[in-house]
Formats: sequence, structure tokens, C-alpha cells
Amino acid sequence: MHIPDGFLSLTICVLMYAASAGFLVWSWKKAKNAYSSSVTPLLAVSSAFVFAAQMINFPILYGTSGHLVGGTFLAVLLGPYVAILSMTIVLMMQALIFADGGLTTFGANVFNMAIIGGLSYFIVKSFTRESKSSNRFFLSVFAASWISMVLGALACGLQIGFSPIFSEAGGVAVTVPAMLFWHILIGLGEATITATLLTQLKRMPSTLLSSFTVLRGGLE
Amino acid sequence: MNGHVKALILILVCLAALIPFASGDPDGLEKVAETLGVEETESLSSGLMPDYTVPTVENAYGSTLAAGFIGVFLVLGATLLLGKTITKHDKQ
Repeated sequence: MHIPDGFLSLTICVLMYAASAGFLVWSWKKAKNAYSSSVTPLLAVSSAFVFAAQMINFPILYGTSGHLVGGTFLAVLLGPYVAILSMTIVLMMQALIFADGGLTTFGANVFNMAIIGGLSYFIVKSFTRESKSSNRFFLSVFAASWISMVLGALACGLQIGFSPIFSEAGGVAVTVPAMLFWHILIGLGEATITATLLTQLKRMPSTLLSSFTVLRGGLE
Repeated sequence: MNGHVKALILILVCLAALIPFASGDPDGLEKVAETLGVEETESLSSGLMPDYTVPTVENAYGSTLAAGFIGVFLVLGATLLLGKTITKHDKQ
């Protein structure tokens, strides 16, 4: 779902940069001093995992592939604000070093993956409520990560559909359904991986997560 | 060994094992562009390691693996710095 340079009109690029910048400032303020420094290793290792996982495309259907985005994964581990910041770093490395996602479209990519992904924390939270049931946790994470993928695809479909290069091909009336179709399917992969991993991690009596409250204590 | 170091090693091992199985098919957005006849233009910057390859490494697997490992450590370094910057420093 990384939008390359050239797909979006200048106006949309600027708008998405502005929207993402606003969310990033907000996340920075919320995240600053929210955690003790013992969280830093988990933050770094989970972000490194997301980078690695994004390299492994899995086949979907008819010669199309998808890969984990990992926004919900980071959001449940790190909380929404830190997740937004660390996902932005992953996307920045991809755009700057690996030419995966454009520079002009970076604002849009941050919005579609980092911000929507990070905010999916609140979907998980509203589904789990106070429950400690691990089935409910699995299903909540499954639903939230699927929804975040589909919403990201919807945003992407709108952004490209309103840009001139796609308007000749039919604009949003075509791009939105097409993006949704593929990402409804890719989202099932995202949801399965995210829910399985997080349920396993939650079960671990590990020192890895001992410093951590978001996942440990259920979602506050 | 520290749990985080173990997790990092596991990530690198899994990455090395899974790269050969990664699908080279277009992803959702690339497929949509392809279907609609929209061609990708030259990107503004091709980066140091375009498409997750190290240009100087000829072997395809080795090239992607090297790019992946470098990327993992770049992300790790940058997010350690992020963590250092935003977290509270325990005064003890």
C-alpha cells in the first residue's frame, strides 16, 4: 500500500503532509514522558520486526500479494501514540533508503499506515473492554487489524482516485472498490498474523514484556 | 541472554529463512494501478538500496538479505533514539 511518487496530485500530497504532521505532533506530545525508559528496547525490537515483516509478501489471489503493515501490532504493544511514531520511522526508512513509497507521497503513506494503524488501538480497546478472555482478545485484535487495513486502503483509494493520473481511468468510482477488494483479502492475512502473534506474546510469562503495561494488564 | 536480543536474533533468522518464499507478485495498490493502466513514474529518489537490494551484491538472495539486515538495524537504531528521546529517565 506504499504510494510511489507520481501517483498523487500536489494538492493531495500537501493536504496529507499537513494532516499527518498534525497527528504526529499530537502523538509526540502524548507519548513524551508517558513511559519509563525501560520500554525503549521493546519499542525498538517491535519496530524492527515490523520492518522485517513488511519485506515478506504473501500471495493472495490472481497474482497479487500483500504484506503485514503492523500498525495494530505496534499499537497494542506500545499504545497508539508511540506506535504512530515508530511506524512513521519504519516508513521513513523505507522511503529514504529503499525507495518503497515516494517522498512526495510520504504524508499520505504515514496517514494510511502509521496513523490509521496506531489509532486502531482504540478499536481493540472498545472491543476488549474489561475482558481478560484470550479468545475475546484474539477476536478484537483480528477485527481491529482488519479494519485498519481496510480503512487505510479506503484512504489510499480516495487519494489516488482524486489525483489526475487515476481520474482518466475512472477516478474514485473505480479506485475505491478496487483498493477495498484487494485489501479486504490482504487484511485477513494482516489480521491472522497480528492476532496470532499478539495472543502468543500475551501468554508469554516473559521478561520481554514484563516492563510493559499495555499488553500485560489488558488494555487500560 | 537478554530477551530483547533473543527476539532480535529470531527476527533476523526468520527474515533470512522467509526471503526465498516472499511473493514477487504486485501488491494490492500495484495491482490496482496495473489493472487501470497507470504506470509508475520514476521516483524522486531511488535510495541507496532500491527495492530492498544492495546494488553491489550480485546474488539475488544475498542482496535482499543484506538490504533486510541493514534495514532492521537502521530501524532499530532510529527507534532506540526515539525511545531515548520520548521516555522518562528514571532518576536513581
